[in-house]
Formats: sequence, structure tokens, C-alpha cells
Amino acid sequence: MTSLQIQTIPSPAAPPMAEPARSALTALRRGWLHLLLVPLALLWLSPLLWILVTSLKARTEVFDPAAGFWPLALQWSNYPAALSVAPFGTYLVNSVMVTGGILIAQLVTITLAAYTFARLTFPGKNLLFTLFLLQIMFPIYATFLTNFVTVREFGILNSLPAMIVPFVASGYGTFMLRQAFRQVPTELADAARLDGCGHFGILWHVYLPLVKPTLIAFGIITVVTHWNDYMWPLLVTNSEGVRTLPIGLGLLAKSDSGADWTRLMAATVVVVSPLLLLFVIFQRRFVDSFMHAGLK
Amino acid sequence: MSIKPTFDQAGRGLSRRSVVMGAAAAIASAAVLRGAQAQARTKLQFMYPVGVSGDINKLVAGMISKFNAAHPAIEVEAIYAGNYDNTEQKVITALGVGDPPSTWLPINSALQTFVGLDSLADVTAKAKADDIYQDFLPGFLETCISDGKLYGLPFQPSTPVLYLNRTAMKDAGIAKAPETWTELMEVAKALTIRDKGELKRWGLTIGGGWHDWVFECYCRQNALVPWTKDKVLFDDPAALDALEFWVKMEQAGVMPKASTWEGSANDFMAGRTAMLYHSTGSLTNLRKSSSFEVDVAFMPKNKTFGACQGGGPIMIAKKQSDAAVDASWTFARWMTSTEVQSQWGRDTGYLAVRKSAWETPEMQAYLKDVPQAKVALDQAAYAGAFLQVPGYHKVREFLKSALDRTLAGEIKPDAALKEANANSNREIQRLLRRRG
Repeated sequence: MTSLQIQTIPSPAAPPMAEPARSALTALRRGWLHLLLVPLALLWLSPLLWILVTSLKARTEVFDPAAGFWPLALQWSNYPAALSVAPFGTYLVNSVMVTGGILIAQLVTITLAAYTFARLTFPGKNLLFTLFLLQIMFPIYATFLTNFVTVREFGILNSLPAMIVPFVASGYGTFMLRQAFRQVPTELADAARLDGCGHFGILWHVYLPLVKPTLIAFGIITVVTHWNDYMWPLLVTNSEGVRTLPIGLGLLAKSDSGADWTRLMAATVVVVSPLLLLFVIFQRRFVDSFMHAGLK
Repeated sequence: MSIKPTFDQAGRGLSRRSVVMGAAAAIASAAVLRGAQAQARTKLQFMYPVGVSGDINKLVAGMISKFNAAHPAIEVEAIYAGNYDNTEQKVITALGVGDPPSTWLPINSALQTFVGLDSLADVTAKAKADDIYQDFLPGFLETCISDGKLYGLPFQPSTPVLYLNRTAMKDAGIAKAPETWTELMEVAKALTIRDKGELKRWGLTIGGGWHDWVFECYCRQNALVPWTKDKVLFDDPAALDALEFWVKMEQAGVMPKASTWEGSANDFMAGRTAMLYHSTGSLTNLRKSSSFEVDVAFMPKNKTFGACQGGGPIMIAKKQSDAAVDASWTFARWMTSTEVQSQWGRDTGYLAVRKSAWETPEMQAYLKDVPQAKVALDQAAYAGAFLQVPGYHKVREFLKSALDRTLAGEIKPDAALKEANANSNREIQRLLRRRG
């Protein structure tokens, strides 16, 4: 905890040009870690860079060993060409609505379920929790047909809710959050109860603020999973108006004759940018919440 | 594989409800709904995969709107359904709940799967009343026939062909494409480049992932069709001879032990392999993405030339009203008409299914421009259907595993094929018993 603060506090206040000698020394003292981190960061960035560069190449350049790493001429036309195979704008809106809908619904259900399993006692609790855990073990493909029948009975085939409904509950999220709730000392909850809080009050004022990192971690996992989901949306939708981004990507990736790399990468840039942008905007908050979760 | 019982349950639930609803005829409820929604136009769905490139989505959308404009009584909805496997899964799921699409486009190997599900409309009589049996190329039509009955119209056939890097061949002083297995081996040896033991270029690559498809072609080149509709014949000496030839090429160091379908196409474009077995459907992509001259040749023969077909037909659902079946036929018939097929073949690289489509002036001009496209048509004269057995998915996996393990040197060719044969036939028998 203390060492973390030493590293985080001076950085915003570091004077850029004052006393060059001393600052060079401090830079070196603090910077040795960067010598290690910069190559690692580059390694992590390299796929993104490759995607970006490939999206601007001509088709013959992609696999030609004689062609250099950089495109000879920037082929911006790959972007309109990629986006013209499907209505990506509609897909983007749908993806946001589906992923957002799932995330919100899941946060509500897993919070309530996890609180119940962590802090309440009732008959059959352990059996019920085991059943929840079993749900994690079933691969999603095993439940496709039954889910399909259910969604059809609801009469919501070929609509956005069809892609949300099967995922509103999450055994994995419930498990994760239950473990986090159990880490919170019961004394805090007891104190809140003395102050007159009910279950919802305790949950809102005591538990949720303390497990924010877990919620965020789960949020990232679920957003990435459902943002990239391909098979289920493909199965339950027919019209272009309700389809999501991965289906558009599939048009370029899933072909018999080898993927159409330049256009596929152009479309990939478009598809991953919202997620990247979201992360860049909220990066500080993500990282902060992980750091300040020092409570044990 | 508990799919079938679940289907039965779904079917029962549906018919119960139909009774409750008091529907007079026990047609699929979806057909009823569909009919109710559009009094004037018969609504059809067409589920199709995108096999060659994303542009196919636009092409199909264009064809469908043209069809709809020309047919005021019918409205077709085009539904993109992923690749062939995804499409099959989507259709089977819809069949499972008793609400199949009117028409769909699977790979031809799935014929027995859909026949087994009793899901296909028999269009033999309709075809006989038409010019189908006269004008369609017989090898293509064959892929839709089971027990003498026609279940659908071929729409986008393809076969494997041998792709050649002409520039590399010129550099090696080779003028002629290999015509026999022996020549193939020699040319592959001459084209393989090693620098101090390190491999620079393979002579030949067989596109992995679909190498069982290419293997069936090799069997056919040995005058063996390695399956009948209720069993496979992988333990036949002709199949063993084909696999032993693969092992010989691998051991001579002219061919990699394994590859992937997309990776092998990429390797060819990058010049890391000089010859490649791949689908005719890849012609446009390989031509446009390679920095050298690409040529196409027949797959070399052994006892005979031989090939087998990928690609698929348009199939029509049985479980729909007669009016919808008629409308589906009108649609399938239009999609396989001379003009549409000529255009489709030129746009995609798939082989046009009608003789008359090849004779259109546009197609003639195209063939002058891209003579390679003609090779696949000529080779199609030797082509039959691909592995039309029940449960072909699993059978393909058994065979691919046998081929992979043999080339990796883990097992002898004869033992591998015997094992794949026994496993496949057990699976086929299991499915047939359940169907019976």
C-alpha cells in the first residue's frame, strides 16, 4: 500500500525542466523499471499495430516477403470497402445495446444473488449454490437448443432481447462476487444495521463500494465476452437490423478461400476501437479502483 | 449427440399447441403465421453461407432484390448464416423447433443428414417437367440425388484444383504442369528449395482442414469412390495406395506434414509453397493477392482423372405449405437459371451449373480473359459428390485424424485407414439404426 503511493503521488507533480541534472538522476532512478516495461508494452501493442498497418496495405503486400512492413501507399479505400459488406453502423448500435443490456442486468442479478449466498442462511442454500456453480461448467453450446426453444416461446426471436435474455444471470459472476462479499468483515454490516440499514441499505452503502474492483473486473470480462460473441447472435437473428458487429466481421473472416486480410483488419479496427476508446477514457478509474482496494 | 430426442420432444410440444389452437391442417405453425402476415405475397426465407468473400453478401442481396422485383407474388428474405457449418447448425436448430426456413444452401455432403431428418421436399417431378435434367451438368445434379430422387438444385459447386506458381516454375525451367502422380512428385522435388537444410519453399502443399476432400479426389484418381450412402470404404487398397503416396511425398521432403486451409492459401500467396491443392472458389482471391503469375491445372491423375465436389445446392423444406414449396421452387429455379448462373460464376469463381450458362457471350468473354476458370469446368467432368454419408461431420474428423497421424509418422497408413474405416462405419450404423 505505502510503496504504491510513493510511486503514484510524485508522478503528476514531477517538474519537467527544472534542475536538469537532478531530474535526470531521479528519472533514471524511477526509470529503470521503464526499461523493462517499454519493451513489454511494445510487445502488447504489436498485434494492434499489425492490425492497423495491415488494414492500410494492398492485398498483394500482406504476404509478399519482399514487401516491407509498412504499406507502400496507404490504402484508405480498405475502410469503405470493408464497411460496405454490411451495415456496420447499425451493428455497432446493436452491439452496444446488447452488451450494455447484458452488463446492467447481470450486475443487478449477481449482486443480489451473491449477497444472498454470502450473508443469508436459508434451507437448501448449499445445494442451490452448487447448482449455480454447475452452470459455469456447461459450455454454452450445450444449452443452445434449449435456450433457442425458450427464446422462441417468449416470441422474441430475431430481436435484440433474444441476445440478452439467456445471459441475464451469471453463475460465474455470482461466484466471484460471493467470494468478494465474504472478504468484507461482518462487523461493518453489523454497524450499518445498528444505524438502521436494511438488506438493500447494507448492500448499497457497505458491500458494493468495497467490492468495486471485483465488479469492474467482472464487467470487463462480461463486456469482452459478449462484445465478441458470434454463434448465439447468428443463431437467433435473421435480419440485418438486429445483428451485431462480430457477424459483420464473420463475413470477411469465415471464408473458404482464406480470410480477406486487408478488409478484415480494417473492419477489426472499427470493431475494437469503441472498446479501446472506452478503456482509455476510464483507464484511470479502472486502475485506481484496483489500487485503492487495500482493505483486508 | 442427444439432438434427435430433443427434436422429437420439440415436435410433440408443437403439435400439441397446434391442436389447442385448433389449426385445421397440421402444417408448421410458422407457415401458418407467415401466410397470415402476408395475404398477398408468399414469404420465403433463404439461409446462405458466405464461402468465398464478404462481397458475396452484397451479391446475394442484389440477386434477391432482383428476384423480388420480378416476382410480385413472392418475397424472399436473405439470411446470412455464417460458414457452411454455421448454416447447417442454424437450419438444424430451426428444424428442431419445427420452424425451418423455406430454402437454404448447405454443403452437398449434408444431403444424407437432411434426408435423415426427413426435412427435404422431393422436387423430382418438378424438375422432370422442366429442363433441369437436360441443361444441368450431370455431375453437379448428381450431388442432389439420393435413391433416384432429386432434393434441391445445385447452385455453387466447386472442386479442388492444382494451383501453380508460374513464375517459380519458369525459374526452375519447368514448362508443363504435372499430369500424373509421378510427374507431380518430380515437379514438387524440383520446386522445393532448401538453403543449408533450412526450408525456403515447399514444392507442394495440400490445403489442410479440407485435406480429406482432396484425399477423396486422390481415391477417385485411383478409380475408387470411397463411400456408398450407408458406409465408407477407407480400407480399400486403392485408398491405402493414395495415402502411401502422400507419405512418400512427405518423406521426400517436398510437402509439409500439416497445414491449415487459410494458412496454406496465405503460404501460396507468399511464395512459401510453389503448388497448392485448394478450392476453385479461391481462384479470384489467389489471383488478386499474389505478386506472381498464378495458373490452374487439373489435379494430376493416377489410374484416371478424378475430383469431387464441394459447394452446395439450394434445398427446399418439406414442412411448409404447398404454395410455399411451389414458391421455393420458383426461387431455386430462378437462382439456377442461365443468366443468373453465368453472372454468379463470373462474380465468384464458382462453377456455373448449367451448360447454357457456359455458352452465354459474357461467359465466353470471361473465359478468354481468365482461361484458368475453364480448367475447373473441364475437370468437373470427372467429379462426383463428396462423402454423402449420414453423420459426415464425424466421419470427416475420423478420416482427417487418420491422415494427420499418418503424415506425422505416429501410425502406419494401413492401420490408420482401418481404424478410421471402423470408427466411421460404426457411427454411420448408429445413425441409421436410430433413423430406422
